[in-house]
Amino acid sequence: MKERVILHCDINHCYAQIEEMKFPQLRNVPMAVGGHEESRHGIILAKNLLAKKFKIKTGETLRDAKRKCPELVIVHPNYDDYLYYTEKVKDIYREYTDKVESFGLDEAWVDLSSSSIFGSGEEVAKIIQKRVLEEIGLTISIGVSFNKVFAKLGSDLIKPSGLVVITRENYKETVWPLPVEDLFYVGKATKRKLEVMNINTIGELANTGVEVLRKRFGKMGEVLWGFANGYDLSNVTHIDYQREIKSVGNSVTAIRDIINYEDAKIVFYVLSESVASRLKESGLKGYVVSISLRNNKLEWFTRQQKRDIPTNISKEIMETTLELLKNNYDFSIPLRSIGISVSMLVPDDYPSQMSLFINEEERDKAKRIDETLDKIRNRFGHYSIHRACVLLDSKLTGFSPKEDHIIHPVSYF
Amino acid sequence: MMLYKRYVDVVTLIDKEGTMTPVLIIWDDGAKYKIDRVIEIRKSASVVGGSGILYKCRIKGQVRNLFFEKNRWFIESYHP
Repeated sequence: MKERVILHCDINHCYAQIEEMKFPQLRNVPMAVGGHEESRHGIILAKNLLAKKFKIKTGETLRDAKRKCPELVIVHPNYDDYLYYTEKVKDIYREYTDKVESFGLDEAWVDLSSSSIFGSGEEVAKIIQKRVLEEIGLTISIGVSFNKVFAKLGSDLIKPSGLVVITRENYKETVWPLPVEDLFYVGKATKRKLEVMNINTIGELANTGVEVLRKRFGKMGEVLWGFANGYDLSNVTHIDYQREIKSVGNSVTAIRDIINYEDAKIVFYVLSESVASRLKESGLKGYVVSISLRNNKLEWFTRQQKRDIPTNISKEIMETTLELLKNNYDFSIPLRSIGISVSMLVPDDYPSQMSLFINEEERDKAKRIDETLDKIRNRFGHYSIHRACVLLDSKLTGFSPKEDHIIHPVSYF
Repeated sequence: MMLYKRYVDVVTLIDKEGTMTPVLIIWDDGAKYKIDRVIEIRKSASVVGGSGILYKCRIKGQVRNLFFEKNRWFIESYHP
């Protein structure tokens, strides 16, 4: 088999760098992109190099960040700009191959295996870096390797503007001495477990027997072992490829803490309508309803339940949601954010077994109400029609989940 | 020389082929400057911030960088 040439390109501290590109004076001060503290979306999304010196971390609260660096400049996120400029960057990648796979906004794999007319992987990487800097004004780090996992690892090694080539000849020297948490899909929890097994570097992981890992981590142990040894064979998808939808969900960080069942209920109403509406838009329905709850100590968990009949009706999603909520939370600690998602999806016209104990007429009615709501909202806007109960606290429910959220996290698998 | 980012009104010509050419710049005070010649067109980032399509223009004997950014125009101005 011909050796593959895969680039992983990563726009350095993406959101912050785009803001710097738009306003160059921000390069001279410690700056971070963060949400609005007033609406409690107050976490750091990205920071520039000067802010990094103050040990400001992505994901921490604005308050903590300000404590570390009082003169920190906070810029509110402009997602439209981020989508626009990252897409422009990807347009450059797409000039070199038709295999470009996005991984979030700022990262992408570029497969050059069958497009060698522009030069070797390293040469093309240099051209891409130069063009992105000159044409868009952004620096990117690139890893070049023979599989996706090592390419991604390479792009993480030097920031900003790094270029690291990992080959079959040198990966034992470059990759194996690295700490094991640098490997894709080794997070905090996995790292702790590996440490207990005295596995601290990627090399040690690679040289551990695959049986041992499988016993400890199941299927994932085998996957990680393969990653560490460079056996990852997954393909870079074609630019036309559309990820199959596996779940449809919505969540919200409420404007104030959700202190009791009634509060949660009205917020869930808004979310369930949005989820139901998006499911119908995609022509899907799902069996499994899950709720995610995050309390104001930022602890987080999810619970899920499978329904007998797949649904995309807000009333039914709501029933399961409330059941889950009742059985799993007592509000001893107030909730900060909550979410619903529906998974195990099947097409909306997928035949389902009717039940003698379910009133199909009622279901049909509920669905028609949903559809009518959607029609009204499409024409007159989200706030044009509401359930009366959400008006009990219009501040708490005053958000439009369908329109407000844009960016979905993606999974490698 | 310090440069400033100034958004400006621009009159453009879009020809039958779909090619867009800036023709006239209108300053905030209403002053109009005819673009005598477009010297160069390419994608570029600007030193004053932002990026887009650079139209390097000759205006009254001077060369100025005019950018089409997303959906509007700015010029690298010598005046704030």
